[in-house]
Amino acid sequence: MTIVLNRIDDRLIHGQVVVGWGQPLDVKFIVLVDDAVAESDWEQELYRMGVPPEMEVRFHSAEGAVAHLDGYRTEARPGILVTGDIATMRYLVQHGGVRDVNIGGIHHRAGRTQHLRYVFLTPEEQAALRDLAAHGAVVTAQDVPAARAVPLEELLTVREDA
Amino acid sequence: MRELLPISLLGGILGLDVVTFPQSMISRPLVAGTVAGAFVGDATTGVLVGATLELIALATLPFGASRYPEWGSSAVVGGAIAAALHTGRAGALTIGVLAALATAWVSGWSLVKLRQWNAWLARRKRPALDAGARGTVIGLQLAGLTADFVRAALLTAIAYGLLFPVAHATVGVWSFGDHVSRAVVVTISGAVAAAAAWTIFHSARHARWYFAAGLAGGLLLLFAR
Amino acid sequence: MSVAAAPRAAPVPSPAPRLSPWTWVTIFTRMLAVQGSWNYETLIGNGIGFCVEPALRALPGGVHGDAFKAAMVRESTYFNAHPYLAAVAVGALARAELSGVPAERIERFRIALCGPLGSVGDQLVWAGWLPFCSLVSLVAFGLGARPLVVVLTFLALYNAGHLALRAWGLHVGWTRGLGVASALGNPVFRRGPAHVARAAAAAAGFAIPLTAARVVDGSASLLALVLGSLGVVAVLLVRLHGRVEGWKLSLVLIALFALISVAR
Repeated sequence: MTIVLNRIDDRLIHGQVVVGWGQPLDVKFIVLVDDAVAESDWEQELYRMGVPPEMEVRFHSAEGAVAHLDGYRTEARPGILVTGDIATMRYLVQHGGVRDVNIGGIHHRAGRTQHLRYVFLTPEEQAALRDLAAHGAVVTAQDVPAARAVPLEELLTVREDA
Repeated sequence: MRELLPISLLGGILGLDVVTFPQSMISRPLVAGTVAGAFVGDATTGVLVGATLELIALATLPFGASRYPEWGSSAVVGGAIAAALHTGRAGALTIGVLAALATAWVSGWSLVKLRQWNAWLARRKRPALDAGARGTVIGLQLAGLTADFVRAALLTAIAYGLLFPVAHATVGVWSFGDHVSRAVVVTISGAVAAAAAWTIFHSARHARWYFAAGLAGGLLLLFAR
Repeated sequence: MSVAAAPRAAPVPSPAPRLSPWTWVTIFTRMLAVQGSWNYETLIGNGIGFCVEPALRALPGGVHGDAFKAAMVRESTYFNAHPYLAAVAVGALARAELSGVPAERIERFRIALCGPLGSVGDQLVWAGWLPFCSLVSLVAFGLGARPLVVVLTFLALYNAGHLALRAWGLHVGWTRGLGVASALGNPVFRRGPAHVARAAAAAAGFAIPLTAARVVDGSASLLALVLGSLGVVAVLLVRLHGRVEGWKLSLVLIALFALISVAR
């Protein structure tokens, strides 16, 4: 097994990740890549509390994660990699060889427009997603396993009223 | 159709429980189906529909923004239809469960629409929210609660009003026997429940042995009776 | 990449102000409607503001003061958590606001709390306590209990846990304030979901054949056929790794069966 899901989700570790994906895929570890959380002990403690004791959480900054990604890909157990934003994932695609990107949740903020129930993007974020694809990553949006995986081009075309 | 108004109000209250208030799970199919059956005068049929739907509902994990069926009003529709048709008639249980599932499809969609409406309302009130107006925060909450009740009650009324005549006609030309019909429905719902139980619980250490022990106990009890 | 906008040191609890019993009753009652205006932009953010509001009235200047209005704006923005464990956030945020914790620290704490409260609640309640109570009630059903007994078994058992969790959350959030992370290390949250999962797995093994038997109400051979077929279909569903929604599959298969029954 390897990292079975590379997810962008601004909630980082939460129910959809731990239970929604974690249980059917039998996930044993989560790699949380976020520069701010990597420097904050109390936030790491909070996120550790959010997973079952038998599930491991490893924290890295974007730069720090690159050195470990090959190791995670050869792990015998399945794992999930989570970033809180597109920029961090773009760094991992460019420098860490990430090839499949799942958009699991980018929520409303001023300047973002809604594309799916759980995806709101600024024009700059749309461009960043296209850049991921240009670097060879297959980008889809899918909140939970039973939902349809929406391809990037469709995601960027569709507009929903919130 | 005298029962349409009370059934709709019941659907409104139990539909409200799913997400907005008070989430005490009076909206679970086991409860909603039974209470709806009792409203129509046949709680026994209601609990049969409720239990069958409860097996299916075990697979539904209502995570935040994900889309899922709204079981409260849909189980009311299914329980009431099956109870009104009477359990002794072949196909009544099957049709009740089918009506509930069809309603659940629409009710899940209606929840999405309600959430979009809540967002639209909040956007309109943005200047007041940005000024810290408590009345606006409270007003949005009350508007959402009211809209959800109206949504669920209307959905129940429309689904029951439309589906009951269809169900009545369908049961009239139902060709399979009662036991076979029930067997098919419970095979499907039981399989969904067993798969859900595995998916949800298998990662807990030794859970499969607990399941096996429970299964052995259940089967022993069945064949001892 | 994300930017660290606030101090990263561990939050320190400050002395707790006092709130009247009536305020607590109001907050608890409002907690039952925390998802009342759930939407895809702020999720339960407005609900958090709605629940914290009675406590914020104690800020200097009351409901017309600048402190109250600024806190209402902060507390009504985007938030996401399990609705029962949102009580932890409501208690902790009320405490932080009344203790005069700097706004940027409250905002950072609010963001950090979302994921863990959602994750812990989903594991313990949606994927644990709820299916467990549901399966225990199905066992009662399968054993031939009357409808009222089945319903009351479920509601009493489930709501004992539900209401206790909300009350505990509010209490622990208020007493620990921004240091509430340690409360999530409570064995109920760390080990509880696994224990509940094992109990629920046993209940599932018990409940499914018993429920099938009561619903079918037919011969032993028909029941054996049902249980055998059920097992085969369940294995196929498991192998799909959650990619098919059970209720949709049920809808399609039962609709097909109904069509065949009517058409033949």
